[in-house]
Amino acid sequence: MRAAVPLLLLVVGLLTLGPAASLLLGSFSEGLGTWGPFTWRKYAEVYLDPELPRVALNTLAFVLGASSLATGLGGVLAFLAVRTDLPGKGLVLFLPWLPMMIPHVLFAAAWIMLLNPTNGLLNLYLQELLGLEQGPLNIYSLGGMILLEALLDLPIAFAMLFPVFLALDPALEEAGRVAGGRPHQVLLRVLLPLLRPALLAAFFLATIRTLGAFAIPQVVGIPAGIPVLTTYIYRIISTGWNPDYGKASALGVVGLALAMVLAYLYRWATQKGERFATVTGKGYRPRVLPLGPWRWPLALLVFGLLFAMVLLPLATVAYISFLPYVVRPGPEAWEVLTLANWKWAVQDPVVARALGNTAFVAVVGASLGVGLSLLVAYVTHRRRTPATALLDLLTFLAFAWPGLIVGVGFMLFFVQTPLYATLWALVLAFVGTYLPYGVRPMNTALLQLHRDLEDAARTAGATFLATLRRVLLPLLAPATVSAWALLASQFARELGVAAVLARPGSEVLAVQLLAYAHDGLWGRVAVLGLLLVLLSTLLLAGLLHLAVRRRSPQAPPPQV
Amino acid sequence: MAKNKAFLFLLLFSALWAHGQAPERVREAQGEGKVVFYANITGVEPLMEAFQNKYRVRAEYVRVSTDKFIPAVLTEHRARKLQADVLQAPLPVMEILKKEGVLGRYVSPQSFGYPRWTRDPEGFYQIFAIEYMAILYNTRLVKPEEAPTTYKDLADPKWRGRIVMPDPTSHPTTIAWLVGLRENGVFKSDEEWTAWLQGLAANNPMFVASLGPTPDVLARGERAVGISMPKYLVTKAPAPLMWVNTPEGLFGSPRAIAIAQNPPRPNAARLFVDYWLSREGQKALAEQVGEYTLLQGTYPPIPGINKATVRPVRDLSDEELTRWSQVFARIFKR
Repeated sequence: MRAAVPLLLLVVGLLTLGPAASLLLGSFSEGLGTWGPFTWRKYAEVYLDPELPRVALNTLAFVLGASSLATGLGGVLAFLAVRTDLPGKGLVLFLPWLPMMIPHVLFAAAWIMLLNPTNGLLNLYLQELLGLEQGPLNIYSLGGMILLEALLDLPIAFAMLFPVFLALDPALEEAGRVAGGRPHQVLLRVLLPLLRPALLAAFFLATIRTLGAFAIPQVVGIPAGIPVLTTYIYRIISTGWNPDYGKASALGVVGLALAMVLAYLYRWATQKGERFATVTGKGYRPRVLPLGPWRWPLALLVFGLLFAMVLLPLATVAYISFLPYVVRPGPEAWEVLTLANWKWAVQDPVVARALGNTAFVAVVGASLGVGLSLLVAYVTHRRRTPATALLDLLTFLAFAWPGLIVGVGFMLFFVQTPLYATLWALVLAFVGTYLPYGVRPMNTALLQLHRDLEDAARTAGATFLATLRRVLLPLLAPATVSAWALLASQFARELGVAAVLARPGSEVLAVQLLAYAHDGLWGRVAVLGLLLVLLSTLLLAGLLHLAVRRRSPQAPPPQV
Repeated sequence: MAKNKAFLFLLLFSALWAHGQAPERVREAQGEGKVVFYANITGVEPLMEAFQNKYRVRAEYVRVSTDKFIPAVLTEHRARKLQADVLQAPLPVMEILKKEGVLGRYVSPQSFGYPRWTRDPEGFYQIFAIEYMAILYNTRLVKPEEAPTTYKDLADPKWRGRIVMPDPTSHPTTIAWLVGLRENGVFKSDEEWTAWLQGLAANNPMFVASLGPTPDVLARGERAVGISMPKYLVTKAPAPLMWVNTPEGLFGSPRAIAIAQNPPRPNAARLFVDYWLSREGQKALAEQVGEYTLLQGTYPPIPGINKATVRPVRDLSDEELTRWSQVFARIFKR
């Protein structure tokens, strides 16, 4: 294992250091890509801008609001789906993944149609229902931005937390109750401390993602007149024909700094790893908590929420896919309803090729990503040395940059290699950028496993690989599913990197989709978006099927 | 004078070359197999397909968004990995690429159909269209007789809360357009222009990131009037949109096409530029994409567009764009 650390440092370094270094160098030199003379000018210009404090305040509210809401909501949904007898649990396990699969621009467009203050459908409905002068809700607001971004980040938190709930030893909660704790005391003093690593990790990922998110700030924030970090960066690179990505990178460094702080916090909070180990040699089985009289009201609330937040926008997207231009439902829409967008998608050879490429990068990328993440998470978890701390840092070096600029970093890097303009460049750039989506779930899951399990296997003479295969992997299965699903659905709709690196032959759906969104051909955008959702759903279903089939023959007899 | 002579010679030479050896060039282009086209332009796929069917040379379109166009092209060019044979972009982008040595000289024999000012004097690019902007309105919300008739009408308080436009603090084409209105005499003085901008700002227009989203906001009735592009009447049909033929004329940024310096497939590159600039190519561009082409006698299928005067605005340098963006940020309080 000692030899593995330098090897992993090399591999992860190659994947993430190249683009990060390109961007950092660009931020300190005149010109980008040509490495001109050293300068502080770009930093001085962006950080001394009198407008920055307002942007920073908006960003703070947006990022904290959305990532807290996403983490909280994801936690509650994961808990209800895994640990309670909520009716329709299976659906609660699936639905929260959907926002991860919908391209964000499309998600925003659907919500604007539902909640814009002038003629948003929900607004008109509420206005009539409540007899108001105007629609009560306004999507073009900080609250609207936070809500949408939180929904988009929700799957990340959900994916981080549901494997943790699966592996919580109910004996601990029972001990709490036997000691006289009331349910809320058990929650606060037993469960929450045990969940701390997972909650922190989920918050970490959601925070960095929100900081770098562009779709919601662009589509909702610009009309709302609420600039945040990414729209501010966008202004730097779009005002002018020869954009200074170095200057944009000087601002993007904020993400890197924040990621380092959060990673340090996480490492500090999980210092005494054993405290979080709930899976020991004793055997455990997650206990189902009866909700009692709360069962149906809670189900109503959860499904109402999931309907409004996930299915309604998806239905709106499906509706848009049958229109030549976006129009509200009614006689006007009825007149123009068309199958043209679907016909186009079936006939256009680029769509078919892009679909194939997208499936390829999703499956191959996610598999590579999960494999690498497992090794990285294991090594950083078991060995706390400066070298593994460095490895941990390297994993989010590319992730911490806003999507708007990280693609340019990869372009500057890959153009020096023979991989440029190939599908493999996309796959490697994706893995390099989204490694934390794999490493973080694995890391928290590993924290729950007591070291005794491995030691027992090693004492019994098993090699490291055998221990990994026979002991660790089966126990890590839920986290592996999570990581794979997160990575695959992210790769399927990824834009920041793909928009810069995709070339003829390596087209992916998301890039096609973005081009049509730029042209405002929302019917086509909707069709491509639904294809993406379908693809991701199939992948997720296939994965779950595989996981269930592999586990069932060896499943232990039910404990009584 | 010497420059002019050289240019004439170049023109004559290319015309002879094109006419005399056209079948030869087609054969050689076919031997090269394909042509790679870098641009950021809507819906040109039918044009690519028509080229492919006509010459049996595969046409690959790489769409690079404007904010990444120069970084991507320059990065590839410097690493000697530029994949493009032909490039197409707004004129200011072409000027930068020309200065950086990315473009090659080629004067297409088809250039003759275009006004004289559209040719690069040094023979690097050919301007073929203007990204023409205009006032658009939703015909279900606004009757033709109520619609604005001049740019000045946009400052009328009756449009308060009913206008959509691209963000004038970041969208370069819109910045150049607003400055162009002043420089082309729509407003007689800076004071008049500034007062108009303040009136427009007081109407609290909704900002979107670029021109692309403006017709949607109009079509779905979220706003009634917008600063947008008439070409959306073609690409968005049958959306309830109409354009306003302002007496001051329409303005926009010129678009140009060029071949790369030492393109990987030189014959296919020239063949493609010739086709693009030909009447067949420009007709397709006008009819299917609604572009305002500068090839004389070709118009997009937009009612009344052949009566409009469409004029190019001046290129603004990146420094000027940044400066105006700050001015507009103050006026529009963003």
